[in-house]
Amino acid sequence: MNLFYLIAFLSVFFSLLVIFSKNPVYSVLYLIITFFTFTIHYVLLNAQFLAIVNFIVYMGAIMVLFLFVLMLLNLNKDSEPLKSNIVKIAGVVAGMCLLVTLAGSVKALNVSDPLVLKNPDIGLVQNLGKVLFKDFLLPFEVSSILLLAAMVGAVLLAKKDPKKV
Amino acid sequence: MNALITISLLALFILYLGLFKAYKALLPVTLLGLAGAFALAVSEWNSFPTPIFSNMMLFDNFAIAFSGITIFTTFLVLLLSKGYFERISSNVAEYYALILFALAGIVLMVSYHNLSMLFIGIEIMSVSLYILAGIKKRDFSSNEAALKYFLMGAFSTGFLLFGVALLYGASGSFDLEGIRNYIVSTPKPSALLYTGIILILIGLCFKVGAAPFHFWTPDVYEGSPSLITAFMSTVVKTAGFAAFLRIMLNCFAPKQEFWIPVLVTIAALSLLIGNVTAVYQQHFKRMLAYSSISHAGYMLFCVIALDGSSDNALFVYAASYSVASIIAFGVLIILQRQTGNDSFDSFNGLSKKNPFLAFTLTIAMLSLAGIPLTAGFVGKFMMFTRTLATYHTYLVVFAVVNAVIAIFYYFRVIVAMYFKPEERTELIVPAYYKIVLAFSAVATILMGIYPHFIAGLI
Repeated sequence: MNLFYLIAFLSVFFSLLVIFSKNPVYSVLYLIITFFTFTIHYVLLNAQFLAIVNFIVYMGAIMVLFLFVLMLLNLNKDSEPLKSNIVKIAGVVAGMCLLVTLAGSVKALNVSDPLVLKNPDIGLVQNLGKVLFKDFLLPFEVSSILLLAAMVGAVLLAKKDPKKV
Repeated sequence: MNALITISLLALFILYLGLFKAYKALLPVTLLGLAGAFALAVSEWNSFPTPIFSNMMLFDNFAIAFSGITIFTTFLVLLLSKGYFERISSNVAEYYALILFALAGIVLMVSYHNLSMLFIGIEIMSVSLYILAGIKKRDFSSNEAALKYFLMGAFSTGFLLFGVALLYGASGSFDLEGIRNYIVSTPKPSALLYTGIILILIGLCFKVGAAPFHFWTPDVYEGSPSLITAFMSTVVKTAGFAAFLRIMLNCFAPKQEFWIPVLVTIAALSLLIGNVTAVYQQHFKRMLAYSSISHAGYMLFCVIALDGSSDNALFVYAASYSVASIIAFGVLIILQRQTGNDSFDSFNGLSKKNPFLAFTLTIAMLSLAGIPLTAGFVGKFMMFTRTLATYHTYLVVFAVVNAVIAIFYYFRVIVAMYFKPEERTELIVPAYYKIVLAFSAVATILMGIYPHFIAGLI
């Protein structure tokens, strides 16, 4: 339990840093750390597969994409558009509305019955593999057609046509 | 299942043929393979099977009938493709393969018994179509069509997937029967179920292009190459509605009182927007795009009047709409290729020089408008009587008014062809086109005169 609180604190702390850091590149780096804490959460919840996917896809692929886009956009203080007062007021109003909504929904919260997992190993890769290759074998196999179609299409669109004679 | 395997393998085989530069063999092999797939699909007729692959798919008569008609329509569309792709670029084999991949997805869409199969089927079809819409790489409107279709399609897939997830949250099952059992056995289902149904409805309405989720249709249909538009507005639309009807019939039927008002609104809006906007179009292709929205409205009637014979009504309507659209697009392709224009004026005087083209196009227009003795009339008649039987009188009255509006713009083409004389050169009609046009015209009239041929099929 203590580990959970530590990780939860780190998640909140780093997500705040994402918002408050002035430099967008730092912001993205903090976001990566935030995602990493999420990965630990998944491990704590016994969802190993989800943890690995989160680690590879979010931290690996998507964040690299983020960094690339930032690099291409070349964000800095000079290129940042000035925000007028009206926009700022609108932002404050919207933020307050969100806060009120959140507070209202938190008030309606109550502690539900603690959920007891019937099968504590449910998130393990082993079980997932069993389901995937037994019950969901056909969708798994058919996905190959989807990937192949997408691959053929991507090559088709990206390939340079030879010059028309 | 055999049809699905055949089509998938055929697509791979076509890719290999392209690799070894056997361009002459592409079309014959594709057509031969499709004929084989059609025969395999039909041979399972009336075998009353059980769901296969741990309840993933079910090849009942519904699935076989709709696989059959989609395979057959693809066959007709591909007959029109003789010499079409070669003009666009040299990667002809890939285009055929992508059309076959889309067809494989469509076979999944009409035979699923599990929502995960529905999702994968729709994705296979859509991904292939995004690319096919943009195969004219140098053409700006084709690029626009592909991008628009991709963004809108991805968006609607999100709705669909979220709906599936919520249904799973409510019922704990992806299986159509499992969800139905949950709906029947739970007197007060959770709110997740209703949200899920609505989200799935929205996702599917996007895919079939029913208003108010139609806004991508005109631009995509207009920008895509005409042959691909023909494929989209016949095969894809039929498959979309078959998937729609399958989930409604097998899964959500016990909750009719909840979703029927929603669908009535959507159907009425599709009719109104499709027909009224089509009146103002100056170009044949764009008019066909809007008319396809209105036909989506008519086809929704089979879901609104939901009972055991809905599949029959949809089958007849889809068949009549498909053959008539193929004629329309066939003539459109010839016209675009040889005059470079598809405005209504370019049809002037067509009856003098090309009486055969003019005649078949007239039959197609009459069928789309729903004039008696054509297949379109039988389709509309079945839809309307069934909807009346469920006491949606106002909707039917509204639909009849819209059908009258539709006559106006369909007849504009006929008037231009027959009553506006103009000197023009004769259009050359290739032999393949003649076969397809003649066959479709004969089929339209036969279905109109002897509807019993197919009306009692499923």
